[in-house]
Formats: sequence, C-alpha cells, structure tokens
Amino acid sequence: MASVIPIIFILAVVLGLIACGYLFVPKGPHQTTIRTAIMLTFASCYLMWMVTYMAQLHPLISKS
Amino acid sequence: MGDDYPTLFRSEQMSLMQFLIPTEVAHDTVAELGELGNVQFKDLNPAVNPFQRSFVGEIRRTEEMTRRVRFFESQIQKEKDVVPIRPLYDSAPLLTVGPSAAHNIDELDVTLAEHEKRLVQMNDSYKTLSERTRELVEARHVLRETAVFFEKAETQHTDIRTSFDDSSAPLLQHDDREQQYSSTVQFDLEFIAGTIDRTRISTFERVLWRVLRGNLYMNHTDITEPFVDPATGTETRKNVFIIFAHGDALLAKIRKVAESMGATLYPIDANADKRSDSLREVTARLEDLETVLYNTGLNRRSKLLKIGENLARWQDVVRKEKAIYETMNLFNFDVRRKTLVAEGWVPTRDLTMIQLALRHATEASGTSVVPILHELRTSKTPPTFTRTNKFTEGFQTIMDAYGIATYQEVNPGLFAIVTFPFLFAVMFGDIGHGLIIFFAALYMIYQEKKWARQELDEILGQFFYGRYIILLMGTFSVYTGLMYNDIFSKSLHIWHSGWDFLEPGSNGVSYAVSNGHMYPFGVDPAWHGADNGLVFTNSYKMKMSIVLGVIHMTFALCLQLPNHIKFKRPLDIYANFIPQMIFLQSIFGYLVVCILYKWSIDWSTRDTEPPSLLNMLIAMLLSPGKVDANAQLYPGQSFIQVVLLLLAVVCVPWMLCMKPYFQWKEIQMIQGQGYVGLSHHNGGHRESTDEVLEGEEEGNGRVIVEEMEEEHEQHDFSEVVIHQIIHTIEFCLGCISHTASYLRLWALSLAHAQLSEVLWSMTIEKFLGMSGIFGTIILAIVVVFWFSATVFILCIMEGLSAFLHALRLHWVEANSKHYQGEGYLFTPLSFAKLDEKE
Repeated sequence: MASVIPIIFILAVVLGLIACGYLFVPKGPHQTTIRTAIMLTFASCYLMWMVTYMAQLHPLISKS
Repeated sequence: MGDDYPTLFRSEQMSLMQFLIPTEVAHDTVAELGELGNVQFKDLNPAVNPFQRSFVGEIRRTEEMTRRVRFFESQIQKEKDVVPIRPLYDSAPLLTVGPSAAHNIDELDVTLAEHEKRLVQMNDSYKTLSERTRELVEARHVLRETAVFFEKAETQHTDIRTSFDDSSAPLLQHDDREQQYSSTVQFDLEFIAGTIDRTRISTFERVLWRVLRGNLYMNHTDITEPFVDPATGTETRKNVFIIFAHGDALLAKIRKVAESMGATLYPIDANADKRSDSLREVTARLEDLETVLYNTGLNRRSKLLKIGENLARWQDVVRKEKAIYETMNLFNFDVRRKTLVAEGWVPTRDLTMIQLALRHATEASGTSVVPILHELRTSKTPPTFTRTNKFTEGFQTIMDAYGIATYQEVNPGLFAIVTFPFLFAVMFGDIGHGLIIFFAALYMIYQEKKWARQELDEILGQFFYGRYIILLMGTFSVYTGLMYNDIFSKSLHIWHSGWDFLEPGSNGVSYAVSNGHMYPFGVDPAWHGADNGLVFTNSYKMKMSIVLGVIHMTFALCLQLPNHIKFKRPLDIYANFIPQMIFLQSIFGYLVVCILYKWSIDWSTRDTEPPSLLNMLIAMLLSPGKVDANAQLYPGQSFIQVVLLLLAVVCVPWMLCMKPYFQWKEIQMIQGQGYVGLSHHNGGHRESTDEVLEGEEEGNGRVIVEEMEEEHEQHDFSEVVIHQIIHTIEFCLGCISHTASYLRLWALSLAHAQLSEVLWSMTIEKFLGMSGIFGTIILAIVVVFWFSATVFILCIMEGLSAFLHALRLHWVEANSKHYQGEGYLFTPLSFAKLDEKE
C-alpha cells in the first residue's frame, strides 16, 4: 500500500538540495538572488508534489 | 553590513554627500555625474523662484535650441517622403565637456539658428509661391470662363436685349454695330469678373440684386477642380462670376460688395485679343511658378536631409545640456569663494566611483582644482535604491507598483522572483500552454538587443519589459502542468497508473479499483475523463490552495523579523510578530495540519467516517470543546482544539494592548526626565552647512561628520492606540479573508482546465473521425482554429487573468503581513534615463 515514506524521503532529498543551494552558490553580485531563487524553487516544487502525492495516497472515492 | 556585494534583500545604503565644486569645473562635473547616473541631487534653493535662479540664462538658451530641434523634427515628420534620421549610436559624438565645450555649444547654437532661419524662409517662400500659383490658376479659369460668356453672348444677343433695361441700351447698339466686324465682340459695357466661394454665390447674387436694384446682369459657372489649401489641406470650391453693369457708382458698389463677401476680382479686358494675350501670359507665368516651386521643394528637401543626419546628435546634446543646467540650478552658489555647493544622495557602495568621476571631470576640463566631497550625517530618510539587472528589473517593478519599500526594508521583490511565477503557474497549469508562453518569452529574449533599441508600441513594449517574468511563468507552468497531468486538456500516461478499470457493469458504468500502486509524479491519468474526476480534482485543488496560501502567508509574516531586528524594534517582535504568528497558526496552521493528517490516514481501516474539515473548523470556532465521537479526526481532538482557540483568543488583547502600554510607559519616562532633548537642539540643516564651510577655512579636505537634529517621533498616545486597534482588526479579519482568498488558485486552475477541455472537445474531437481528403482539409482548418483559440483565449486572456490574480495575492495577502512601503524612489540624474523619459 502506498505510504508516507516516499514523502519523507523526498523531503530529506529536497532539504539536502536546498542546503547545497545555500552553500555552493559562488560569491558575487547575484549571490543572494540566485540562492533565494534556488531555495524557493525547490521548496515550492516539493510542496506541490507532496500535496499531490498525499491527496492520492488513500483516496476516499473510487472512480467511475 | 559587512558584505561586499549588493543584494536584492534590502535597498542599498545611501549617504548624503556634499560636493564643493569650483565654478569652472561645475558644468563638466555635472556632465560626468550625469553619465554615471548615481547621484540624486537635492534642491538647495527651494524658496527661489525658477526665474531667479543662477543659470536661467543658459537654460533659456538651451530651451531655444530645444525648440529649434523640435521644429526640425516636426518639419521632417511632415514630409511625405520619409527623411531618414541617423540614429544616435551611428552619429559622431559632439564634445560637451572639456575646454572646447563652450565653443562647441556656441557653434551649435549658431548653426541651429541659421538652419532655422533658412528653413523658415524656404517655408514662407513656398507658401507665397503657392498662393501666387493659386491666384494665377483662378485668373486662368476666369479668363477661360469669361471667354465662354462673351462667345455665348455673341450668339445670343437677342436674349440679352430683352433681359436688360435702359441702362444696358448701348450694349445693344454696340452689338449691332460690331456685327460686321471680326468674330471678336466688343462690349462697351463695364463688367467685373472674379471668383467666389461656391457656398456664397447665391447670397452674393441676392445682395447685389438688392443693392443695385436689379441694374445688373450676372452670370456664373463652376470651376470643376477644387483648390487645395497647402497649409491645411482643405478643399474649397469656387465659381467664376461676371457682372455687367453701367456707371461708375454701380461698379464701385459692386466692387465693395464683392470685397465684403470675400470674392477675388480679376481685371479682364473686354477685347478678346487682349484676353487671349493675358491668358497666354498667365499660363507662362504659371509654368514659371511651377518650376520655381519645384526647385524650392527640392532645396528644402536637401536641407532637411542634411539636418536629418545630425538631428539625433543635436537632440541628445541639447537634452543633456538642459538637464545639466537644471541640476546646477539646484546648487547653492557661494559668491565669496566662487564654488557651488551641492548635496545629493549617493549609494554608499558607489562612493569611490563618484570620486573617480570627479577626478576625471577635472582632468578633462584641464583645470587642476578638484571638487571636494564629504559626507553629511542626517536623520532624513534616504531614498530607496534597489540595484537591479535586466532579469530582476521586471519583478522589482511589479512589486514597486504597490509601493516603494521603506529605506532598507526587506524587499518582497526578491522572493517574488520565484513565488510570483509559481502562484501564476498553480492557476495556469498546463504543459502545452506553458510551453507556448515559454517559447514566446524565449523569442523575445533572443531578440533582446534589437528590440531594446526600437520604439516598441505600448502593448508589445509591456510584454517585452516582462519577458523574464513570462519565461519563469512558462517554466513553472510546465511543472504544474506535469503535476495536474494536463497537456492541452489531455493526460500523459508516463508511469503505471494506480487504478485498474473493471468491466462495465449492467448500467454501463465501469468502476476502477485501486491496485496499490502510487502514480509517482502528479495526478493519476486515470482520473482524466472519469465521471467523478472533478469531484476529486476540486477537493485536491482546494486543499492545495489552502496549504499553499497558509504557507505563503506564514512566510510573509516571518519577513517581519529581519525588519524588526534591523531597525532595533524588539518591542514589535513581542507585541506584533509573536501574537500574529500564534493567531495565524493556531487556527489556519492547524487546518493545514489537519488536511495533511486526513490525507495520510487510510480511512478504510478506521471505523469512523472521514470528517469534513470545513465543518470541523466551523465547529471548533462556534462550539468549542464539543467533538462528536463519530466525526473526530483523532483522539483528544476536542481538548486540543479548545487550547488552540484559547491561544487565538488571547492573542487579540495581546496585540491590542502590549505595544500601546509599553509606549505609554516610555512617554512617562521621558516626561519624568524633563525636556532634556531641547538643549541639544542643533538648529537647522542649513546652518550646519555654513559651519562646515567655515570649518573649511581651517583645514582642507577634512572629513567632517556632524550630528543633525534628531527628528522626534510623534508620541501622541491616542494615535498609537488607534493605530494599534486598526492594525489588530486588520490582521485578525484579514487572516480569515486572505486564507479564503487563496481559493482563487483553485478557481482559476479549474476554469483553465475546463476551458481547455471544452475547446478540445468542441473543435478537434468532433472532426477526428472524418476520413478522406475532405476530412483532412476540414481537420486542418479546425486545427488552425483550435491553435489560434488556444493562443488567444487560453494563453493570452487566461494568462493575463492569472497574472493579475497572482499579483493581487502578492500585493494584498502577502505584503499586508510585513510591508510598510513608505519609501520614495531614488531618481538620480542620469542621461541614460533621460532617454526613457522622452
């Protein structure tokens, strides 16, 4: 049965990616912009995926 | 700040600098600073009438030059054949700084005046010549028509005899006598010939009849071609008339009446020979005039061509000069020392650049006196300057449109780079449409350099300005399209579906059974086309909107923290931020947690029915503590909900009272200490500057930092209380309404999906079954229609709609949580920006 484990796993992966984004963007005039953009992108994309995944985990209605 | 790079997170730190510029270098210095575009000069003479400022004379001269340049431009534009204007980047530059600058400007002035004089002369002569041509053409018509009259009269003299009374008797006699002569008929009768407007001819006749008591004979014919007035282009139609009367008095009256009615009289001879002579003469003169006219036209055009070569350069120079002198008018002219004192806001980071520019200006001008620069400390609020590049410019502009950020406040534009396209995409999610706008944006970016130079019209210009926003919007739309599994209203079936369809039952309905597999990325394609697909999608999208909304608002609320920390307002953290956060989370954060929790439970293994979350929330607020055992989400729910509700309720008086209380205590403290503040009163801003100048006499080049007067905050207590009440009510009510407002994410994505599906099913689907050549052609036409409807309705119209709603969400829901927006924009003297202002 589908479970919540993939969600938590992907969450860990995304958090790791966010940390990488924070650490490995080179210094420069655009560092803040690039960092913020990368972190926000990962976060929001993960959020949407998580919501979509969870909505279909235990469906309350069956299709016809 | 300890960083060496500018960020978009806050606006730049600004310093108020004072410039002491010797008069000789002033013009070149300002020109150099204008090229740099980094200084916003303050007006140091606010009380002075613009006509009394020091550089009024120069401005007047540049105004004259501007007027002349504009005159040339309008003349060039009026030409029917286009006169090419050489663009600015192609023209040779004109030196406006340095020792030769003044000479160049004078020369330019003289050249412009000369060109103008010649052009005006040519225009005038052209006009006069046209007038003369017109007159001659009229005269020719008159001659022709009168010839016709006379010929007619010759053959119809019997009619004439009966229609005239006594005074015309000699005519008849002469007529008889002249019969045996040659064909030319000579009238001894005086006549007046001329032209008049067709609209006036009947009035003219009537007036003449009345004035002369019928003692006249008048005949008139139309001139077929209308006369076109060259200046205005209006057409007038004229008639030729000829009036026969006898006697000087009558003729004089006729002349007066004709003049008053606006007729033009021409001297026509009675003798036919003489008439044909004049006709020939007129024709010859007409030809001459035409040639002269033609030559003048050619001359004028060549002059305009020459002007067109230099026009852009002149415009540029004149505009810059005007800007320089207007700026110099803002300076304070110190007569004793022959220096100009200027004050301006400069980004602190750019100070070295400014110093370099100043040095460069003095080198270029050839003098050795360097302008002095030093910093002033002030408590006035500096302008807000956010350094943007072509990518971030669009995002910053749309957030600035709501309000310019207060100086050094957290800039929402930074986060909008991702959140805005993301929220747009949630409302727009379709892979196909996302790709369309992505490629459109890519094309615009590809043509960037070329289009930036052109004058784009308003709508295209707006789209071009936001090309990077559109690019990101497209990218995120492709992602959300993958999530919604929607490409042009079809689903992609990339992975294994989680549902298996059974055979249709007796009523033709086939059910699907879950096979335990999860569709890993997005909405399962089995939902597409299902009868109750919408039921699922609506529930899913509505809950997603709430989740995303609460998280966005929480994020925006947290942006308050850096502001409070930076501006050293710890009271605000405890009195505003914390209660607001607790209030928001205890009700709506709890709702989000419940949504996620409800999704994560397998309800088929539980005995209770899954409760409706909306009812649960309403029950929590209306009847706290009472949770039906059949409808509970988790054990212990009633207790937790009561606790959360109490927390929320406690936050309201917390928000209302804490800050006013502490500020009241502060006022009491200040009053207790007496008015100590006044003794440190430092006088006005102006006086300090004079002190500085006097300080200069002692030592040169010292960096002097002085304390300016602290501006006292309004410590009116009632105002504080009212402000806090409004703030609290706004926040609490706003929480609920804004959370519900995020449901527009669901609404618009539903509308988009449905529109897309309707378009497909109404057009292409109907014609897919057709076969044969005819079917293919029809299908092709329908596909074209489908595609254009997709682009115009779904991409452009829906896109603009989603853009607007995403923007509203940022402006109202997010910004109200942290944004003050009370700054003013940094508007430096910049020659590059002058171009845009035109």
